[in-house]
Amino acid sequence: MNSPDNKKSILVLKDISLSFKGVKAITDISFNVYEGEICSVIGPNGAGKSSMLNVINGVYIPQEGTISFDGKEFTKMKPHSAAVMGIGRTFQNIALFSGMSVLDNIMSGRNLMMKANFWEHALNIGRAEKEELEHRQAVEEIIEFLGLQSIRKTPVASLAYGLQKRVELGRALAAKPKMLLLDEPMAGMTMEEKLDMSCFIQEINRNYGTTIVLIEHDMGVVMDISDHVVVLDYGKKIGDGAPDEVMNNQDVIDAYLGVSH
Amino acid sequence: MDYAFFLEVLVGGLLSGIMYSLVAIGFVLIYKSSGVFNFAQGTMLLLAALTFVSLTERMVNFWVAFAITLMIMVVLGIIIERTVMRPLANQSLLSLFMATVGLNYFLEGLAQGVWDSAVHGVNLGISNDPIFLIDKFPVLGLDIIVSYFDMAAAGIAGLMILGLSLFFTFTRTGLSLRAVSDDHLAAMAVGIPLSRIWAIVWAVTGVICLIAGLLWGDRVSVSFTLTSAVLKGLPVILIGGLTSIPGAIVGGLIIGASEKLGEIYVAEWIGGQGIEHWWAYTTALLFLMVRPTGIFGEKEIERV
Amino acid sequence: MFYREAGKLVGSFGKDRRMLPLLEDRWLAVLFVAFMYFVVTAIASDYMFTAILIPIMVLGVATLGLNIAVGYTGQLSLGTAGFMCFGAFSAFNLILRIDWMTIPLAFFLSGMIAGGVGIIFGLPSLRIKGFYLIVSTLAAQFFAEWVFNAYPWFLNYTSSGVVSLPMHHYRVFPGQENTPFNAAFWYSSQGRYLVTLTVTILLVLACKNLVRSNTGRNWMAVRDMDIAAKVIGIPVAKTKLMAFFISTFYCGVAGAMYCYCYIGNLDFMIFNLRRSFLVMFMVIVGGLGSILGSFLGAIFVYAWPILITRGSDFIFGGGAIDTAFIENNSKIVVGTIIIVLLIREPGGFAALWSSSKQKLRVWPFAQ
Ligand SMILES: Nc1ncnc2c1ncn2[C@@H]1O[C@H](COP(=O)(O)OP(=O)(O)OP(=O)(O)O)[C@@H](O)[C@H]1O
Ligand SMILES: [Mg+2]
Repeated sequence: MNSPDNKKSILVLKDISLSFKGVKAITDISFNVYEGEICSVIGPNGAGKSSMLNVINGVYIPQEGTISFDGKEFTKMKPHSAAVMGIGRTFQNIALFSGMSVLDNIMSGRNLMMKANFWEHALNIGRAEKEELEHRQAVEEIIEFLGLQSIRKTPVASLAYGLQKRVELGRALAAKPKMLLLDEPMAGMTMEEKLDMSCFIQEINRNYGTTIVLIEHDMGVVMDISDHVVVLDYGKKIGDGAPDEVMNNQDVIDAYLGVSH
Repeated sequence: MDYAFFLEVLVGGLLSGIMYSLVAIGFVLIYKSSGVFNFAQGTMLLLAALTFVSLTERMVNFWVAFAITLMIMVVLGIIIERTVMRPLANQSLLSLFMATVGLNYFLEGLAQGVWDSAVHGVNLGISNDPIFLIDKFPVLGLDIIVSYFDMAAAGIAGLMILGLSLFFTFTRTGLSLRAVSDDHLAAMAVGIPLSRIWAIVWAVTGVICLIAGLLWGDRVSVSFTLTSAVLKGLPVILIGGLTSIPGAIVGGLIIGASEKLGEIYVAEWIGGQGIEHWWAYTTALLFLMVRPTGIFGEKEIERV
Repeated sequence: MFYREAGKLVGSFGKDRRMLPLLEDRWLAVLFVAFMYFVVTAIASDYMFTAILIPIMVLGVATLGLNIAVGYTGQLSLGTAGFMCFGAFSAFNLILRIDWMTIPLAFFLSGMIAGGVGIIFGLPSLRIKGFYLIVSTLAAQFFAEWVFNAYPWFLNYTSSGVVSLPMHHYRVFPGQENTPFNAAFWYSSQGRYLVTLTVTILLVLACKNLVRSNTGRNWMAVRDMDIAAKVIGIPVAKTKLMAFFISTFYCGVAGAMYCYCYIGNLDFMIFNLRRSFLVMFMVIVGGLGSILGSFLGAIFVYAWPILITRGSDFIFGGGAIDTAFIENNSKIVVGTIIIVLLIREPGGFAALWSSSKQKLRVWPFAQ
C-alpha cells in the first residue's frame, strides 16, 4: 500500500470479493481511505464502483474480505450499524422518499438522534415536541447551506433531478456522518449544477472534516477536488494514489482508452 | 395410524390440489404478462359458470352454451385488459392489485345483476360414485375409496394443465410470454407484440375460468361461493412463486394435500373443524418463511 | 377560497409544525368539533345516530388503522376485519370477566390486545416482501373467523353464536356499577354517539401526531424506499412492527366500537373477509396515506348504498327497488370508482379535495 505514514486510515478494505450468482462484480480489492480526504473512485461502466460503496455500508455482503471503519473490523457490515458508526450515503439512482417533502426527507436523516418513543409521539408529550424543534433547527441550517429554503415543503417527487440530488445530499448530511459515500452526485447535471455540487462537497469536507468517498465520471471534477483516486476496471483495482500519479499510470490509460484485455 | 385412511385423505387432497393448480395457472399467466395478481379471477369463474348454467337453463344446447360462454369470457378478458390493466401499466404493485379487487367488485355486481344471485345446479354428467382403488391397484393392498367425480375432474384439469404447459413451453407465444414477464420494455424493443400476448393470456384465463367454474360448480353448485376459488388459488401461486407454471402445479398439490390432511389430523388436535382456510394460508406462510419468493421464484438482490 | 397561506408568516418552528398552520383552519376545526358535540347531539335523530354517524366514525377509525399499515407504511394487509374481530372479542371478554372494567379502558385494552395479535401477524413482514406478504394478514383473517367459532368460551358459551350486548351492565365512567346515569347514558343513542365521537377524535389526533413525528417519517421512509431507510439508520424491522401494532390497535378499537356502539351485539360472522375488503375500498377511495381521506372513504363507501335506497324510495316510493338491485348497483359503482380513481387520481378523494382547494385558492385568476 502506498499509504503515507502521516495519514490515518478511516476505512480499510482488505481483499474484498463480491459476486452475484457466480458473476464476479468485485475481485480481491483492497484500498484505504484516509481521514479527512476526498477520495474518488473511478472506472468504466460496470467496473464495480457502486457495488464497492454498497459493500462499504453493508448493502451488499461480500463473499470474501474485511472492512474496517474507524478501527473496528467487520466481515459483515450491516447498513444500520454503518449508519450508527457515521457512514452516510447517497445513491446513483436517487433514493429519496418520494412521498415526503424536502423537509421531511432531510429530517429523516436525523432519526438516529431522536430518542422519543411512539407514545410520546402519539400524544406529542415529553421529548417529542422538544426534539422535533431542536432537530428542525439543525435541518434548517442544512437547508440554508444547500439553498433549499424555497422548496422545503415541496414533495420531492415534483423536483427537478439536480435538486433531488441536492436533497439527497442534505439527507445524508443531516446525520452528521464521519464519512460520506456519494455515488455519482453530479451525473446528469448541468455545468452550473455540477459546480454548485462540487462546491458543496468541498465545503462539507473542509468545514466538518467529513471524509468523502466519491464516484464520478467527470475527470475534470475528479482531478479538481480529489486528494486520492482509486481506479477500478472489471471489478479489479488498477490504480490507487494521488490524482496526477494515477492519471499517468499506463493501466489506467489503457482502461480508459479501451485497450483489449 | 391407519395408513389406508391417511392415503385416502392424501389422494383426495392431491386430486383437489390439481383443481387448484388449474386455477393457479390462470393467475400465473396473468401475473407473467401484466405483473399483477388478478383478484377478479374468482368472480370471472363465477361469471363463466353462471353464464353457462343460465344459458342451459334457457334451453340452449350444452355445446352452444359452452361456445357462447367461451366467447363472452374471451371478449371480457380483452376488454379488461384494454380498459383496466393497460392504463395502469407501470403502476405500483399495490395499485394494480387494488384495481383487480375493484374489478372483482364490479364483476360481482355485474354477474349477479345480469343473471341472478340464486344457487344453480350444473350437471356435466359425470358420475359421483365412489370408486375403490383397491380393485385398480391391488399391489398396494390398501382399501382406498376415491370419488369418481374427483378423479374425472382432476383428470380434466390435469389434461388442461398439460396442454397449457406444453403450449407455453414450446410455442412462440410461450416464449414471448416469458420475455414479457422478464422485461416489458425489452420485449417491446425486440418487437414482441405485447397486446397480442396480453389478449391471448386473458383469453386463455377466460377458458380456464369456464372449465374450472363448471367442474367446481358441478361439485358444489354454481353460486356466490364459487368466487372463493380465488382464495384457493392465492396461497398456491404464492408457494409456487407467482411466475412459475411448475410452481403453480406443485403449489396446488401441496395446498390440496395440506388442506385435507390438516382438516383431518390437525383440526382434531386443536379442537375445531373448518380450519382449512387459515391452514392453507399458514402452510403457505411457512413455505414463504423458508423461501420468501416461493419455491420457484427467483431471489432478487435489490439494486441500488 | 377566502383565506390562504400567502402573507401569513410563522415566527417559529413550533408554529410551523402545528397540525393546522392556518388560524382560519384551526377555528374551523374547533367549530366543527363543537358542532359535532353540541348541535348534532341535540338535534340529530335516532336514525341519524345509529345508522349514519356512529357506523361512519367506527368504520373511519378502522380505515385509518388500515391506512397506517397500507398507506403510510406500504404493508399490504387484508386482515382488517379479523383484527377488528380480535378487538371486539377482547372488549366483550374484558367487560364480562373483570368487574371493575369500564368501557373506555376496555376499548383501550382491546386495542392493545389486537395490536399484539397484529405484531404476531406482522412478523413475517420482516422476511417476506411485497405481494407475498398478503398471506400473513389473510391467515390472520381466517384464523380470527375460525378461532372465535371453534372455542365457545370466547362467546361465553352462547349457543346461538350471537351475543346481544345490552344484557350486560357497563360502566362508561368509573364508579358504581350500573348507576342510573351510566345505564341511561349507554342505552341512549346520544350516549353511544358521544363515546364514539370522543374516541374517534382522540384517535385522529394521535394519528395526526404520529404522522408528523419521527415515527410517521420512519413509516413513510420504509414505504417509499426501504433500502435507503436502512442506510440512514432507520430500524426497518421495528418500524414495520410498530406500524402493524398501531394499525391493528386502531382496528381493534374500531372492532370493539363496532359491536358496543354500533350494532349492539357480538357476532364473529360480521367480521369476514368481505368487510376487510370494504375497509380496503374505503382506504383506496379516500386516499392512501391520508387521515381526512380515511373518513371521506368511509363516508362514501358506507353511505352510497343508503343514498341509492333513500333516493329511490323518494323518487319511486318505498320498496320500489329491491335490495339485490341496490347491492349489485353499489358494487358496480364502487368497483368502477375504484378503478377510475386508481387510473386518474391515485390519491383518492383526499387528493381531489386538496387539488380543488388549490384551484379555489387561485380562483378567479387562473384555472
Ligand atoms: N444487485 C445486483 N444483482 C446482480 N448483479 C449486480 C447487482 N449489482 C451489481 N451487479 C453487477 O455487478 C457489476 C458491477 O456493477 P456496479 O453497479 O457496481 O458498476 P458501476 O461501476 O457502478 O457502473 P456504473 O458506472 O454504470 O454505475 C455489473 O456487472 C452489474 O451488472
Ligand atoms: Mg454505479
